[in-house]
Amino acid sequence: METTTLNLKDSYYYKQWQSLIQNEGLVIENLDDITETFGIYEDDKLIATGSYFENVLKYLAIDPDYQGGNIFNKLVSTLINELAAQNIFHVFVFTKPQYKKSFSYLGFNLIAETEYSALLETGDYSIDQYIAELPRISGKNISAIVMNANPFTLGHRYLVEQAAQKSDSVYVFVVNQDASLFKTSERLDLIKQGTADLDNVQVVSGGQYMVSFVTFPSYFIKSCSEVATYQTQLDAKVFKRIASALKITKRFVGSEPYSPTTEIYNQSLQKVLPPEVELEILDRKAIDQDIISATKVRQAIQANDLATVQKYVPETTYKFIKDNIKTLIGRIHDGN
Amino acid sequence: MEIKHTALAGTLESSDIQFTLSKGTGVEINLNSQVEKQFGKQIRKVITDLLAEYDIKNVTVRAVDKGALDCTIKARLIAAIQRATDTQNQPNWEVLG
Repeated sequence: METTTLNLKDSYYYKQWQSLIQNEGLVIENLDDITETFGIYEDDKLIATGSYFENVLKYLAIDPDYQGGNIFNKLVSTLINELAAQNIFHVFVFTKPQYKKSFSYLGFNLIAETEYSALLETGDYSIDQYIAELPRISGKNISAIVMNANPFTLGHRYLVEQAAQKSDSVYVFVVNQDASLFKTSERLDLIKQGTADLDNVQVVSGGQYMVSFVTFPSYFIKSCSEVATYQTQLDAKVFKRIASALKITKRFVGSEPYSPTTEIYNQSLQKVLPPEVELEILDRKAIDQDIISATKVRQAIQANDLATVQKYVPETTYKFIKDNIKTLIGRIHDGN
Repeated sequence: MEIKHTALAGTLESSDIQFTLSKGTGVEINLNSQVEKQFGKQIRKVITDLLAEYDIKNVTVRAVDKGALDCTIKARLIAAIQRATDTQNQPNWEVLG
């Protein structure tokens, strides 16, 4: 038996891999969401495979004749050791609920599950640690907003203001994934600056637990709507766990006229969060019937149209964009 | 000795044990083993004794045991300690002897 890396760009390996994956009932979505793939061979036959993307294990499949033995342990161990060699020690797996036991035997802990999927993690960090590190705020009526804010606009500002008026305290969780035009640190800073005058608002990082490549990859990688439904329901479950620890009883979201993925996300939240967490959907803010959106801001940046940018964003965001317009246009051209 | 960063050693295969050592306060051992009931105490003793020999007072140890013998547990833990303390090239002969 031999363990080796598989080059999926080579059709010889791709065909073997594809047939094993599909026999296991897994859907191949997009090869861009795979960093590296391993295979275990018995003579010339591929009997097991597993891949990872960043610190997430995926596409694990074992030939039915070899299931229930040591192959699964060997496969997961190979992946974990490879990630450890890259100094990645906190590892997630997104799998079907029936496999959660197999992973828990290997030291993985369950984060959340729905009837379709389960999310587990192992290593030197955990959701409990993330929760313990978050600032605690007092008040009876605590609410939350999760935003990417790429970048922070007057629309986001409106959402935060509404939440701040309707609750004693508000957590703003910032999506912590560098997959957007504005870097995570920039987005976080602009939200902090743009809400500095609101005393009952606490801006925190969403870590890897809110709308990240881990909980909700189709936010960043195009997928079919069925996959987005599975992922968003799981993301909502993870949120619920964090909400319960922080005594959050309400979540605000903006209505979504443009993005179908975000619309599916809002539907999943509505399905999963109540009754413990109430969901309130706020209408998006418009200026002269023109709905504010970060997409429009990014388009204006690309066109080097600062006048339009200024229309949609608060002064703090405008200043940042004006000072960094060349860098931002450069990033757009580099495909970010 | 001080843990400088997280390090991993061992595998999840049968008869082996996988250690992940990371920075911590005091010695904390999280053991995941199917033979916890029968051998949990003994496994913990091997780990605690070896950490004491290396004079490591602050560490979080995660161990996923797949039925490893004491000699395997020691070997894997020594590898993890040396990686986590950046002393791979300076074997501690007093402990190893």
